[in-house]
Amino acid sequence: MAATTESVKADAAEAPLLNRRNVVLGLLLYLVFYSWVRWYEGVYGWSAGLDSFAPEFETYWMNFLYIELTLEVLTASVLWGYIWKSRDRKVMSITPREELRRHFTHWTWLVMYGWAIYWGASYFTEQDGTWHQTIVRDTDFTPSHIIEFYLSYPIYIITGVSAFLYAKTRLPTYQEGLHLMYMVSVIGPFMILPNVGLNEWGHTFWFMEELFVAPLHYGFVFFGWAALAIMGVVNTEVMTITRLLKKDLA
Amino acid sequence: MSASQSAVRSRAEAVQVSRTFDWMILFTLFFAVLGGYHIHYMLTGGDWDFWSDWKDRRLWVTVAPIVSITFPAAVQSCLWWRYRLPFGAVVSVLALLLGEWINRYLNFWGWTYFPVNFCFPSNLIPGAIILDVVLMLSGSMTLTAIVGGLAYGLIFYPGNWPIIAPLHVPVEYNGMMMTLADLQGYHYVRTGTPEYIRMVEKGTLRTFGKDVAPVSAFFSGFVCIIIYFLWHFFGKWFSKTDFIEGDI
Repeated sequence: MAATTESVKADAAEAPLLNRRNVVLGLLLYLVFYSWVRWYEGVYGWSAGLDSFAPEFETYWMNFLYIELTLEVLTASVLWGYIWKSRDRKVMSITPREELRRHFTHWTWLVMYGWAIYWGASYFTEQDGTWHQTIVRDTDFTPSHIIEFYLSYPIYIITGVSAFLYAKTRLPTYQEGLHLMYMVSVIGPFMILPNVGLNEWGHTFWFMEELFVAPLHYGFVFFGWAALAIMGVVNTEVMTITRLLKKDLA
Repeated sequence: MSASQSAVRSRAEAVQVSRTFDWMILFTLFFAVLGGYHIHYMLTGGDWDFWSDWKDRRLWVTVAPIVSITFPAAVQSCLWWRYRLPFGAVVSVLALLLGEWINRYLNFWGWTYFPVNFCFPSNLIPGAIILDVVLMLSGSMTLTAIVGGLAYGLIFYPGNWPIIAPLHVPVEYNGMMMTLADLQGYHYVRTGTPEYIRMVEKGTLRTFGKDVAPVSAFFSGFVCIIIYFLWHFFGKWFSKTDFIEGDI
């Protein structure tokens, strides 16, 4: 009887398997931040973003670029450094319940990755199409590029690499080696950022207009396919979670 | 861990954990597919999808199905062959359309002020439903590729006809004959407007007949069959769970 009471107490004191507040706060963080960014584009895109030689362009857009790049490097260093430094060195000896709890945390990261990919690859990338069909570019660092390439892409890269590092440092499932599709799903979309070099090189040489289906853009397409590798991660996770639950769920 | 040890304490908790994972997986899959599919589609068929004056009877009808059958085929190959879930194509297209509609409203209209009846996305739902239904009823990838792929190309123009027909009526403007969609394009000049960039109905034979759209749709359906096969195998590859040697 006493033992049962102790067990119930321990259960009550135990951390929940999934911290739902983190999921909600994470989703809201991206939503609120990107809503603010979209407001900023709306106001300062038209009033200060049309002529890159104007002083107000330097004030409102180039300074935005310098600040975001600095913050991204800092955030990536601190976050990735923390996840690595605080890694579990006895990861193969954790209890099944702790493993399940970590899978929930891992999925919190993956939810954020999917959400960040949406904002980067869908929202701000197609937005770039309409901006450059409207405005004739006179620089590589246009308002839509400063947000799309140098803000939304680094954010999903930081999120994706964090998810991968979390899995690699805390989950027994990923200790066998390197999960091929996990790497594809993180490194592929990451490669879209270096591909910006090709894009800007081409636009500098060939045309200031916009044709979204131009072969110059196919590098983005190729690396965008890598998002499908999330299916390989899902399959691995489903197998692991099924093994952990060991229950007939029908 | 012990081979017989479960991470949960009851069947009820197992069910709850499983359902919670289902939602998290679905959310992640939906938005990751949305992002990948959208960047693929906007950069391979985007200009035809963005503007009504690009939505002609030949190239739009040909290109849009060919480049859009890709992700549905890949996602089907994972969801059907691993989980027997018969909605891979529809969920992919719904994801794409959600991303597109949000963008057309908030950015095409909201930031650069193009009217929505000028920059609405193409309708891909009928083809996606056919793909899923053929796969579900037949259970055959080959039949889905051939019947579903061909139908995906053929149904595209009829599926969009009620939307595009009012914009394809002829109008005379400054002594020139054009469609209402062309007229919209004249009023909304873009950097993709110059004729050395804009790819709309060109050619010779079409001037002798009125059958451009069905022929284009049939050609599109033919290529869709091939693309479906190809992307089905891409999907299988992306669904792998292999590890490679190495560490970070």
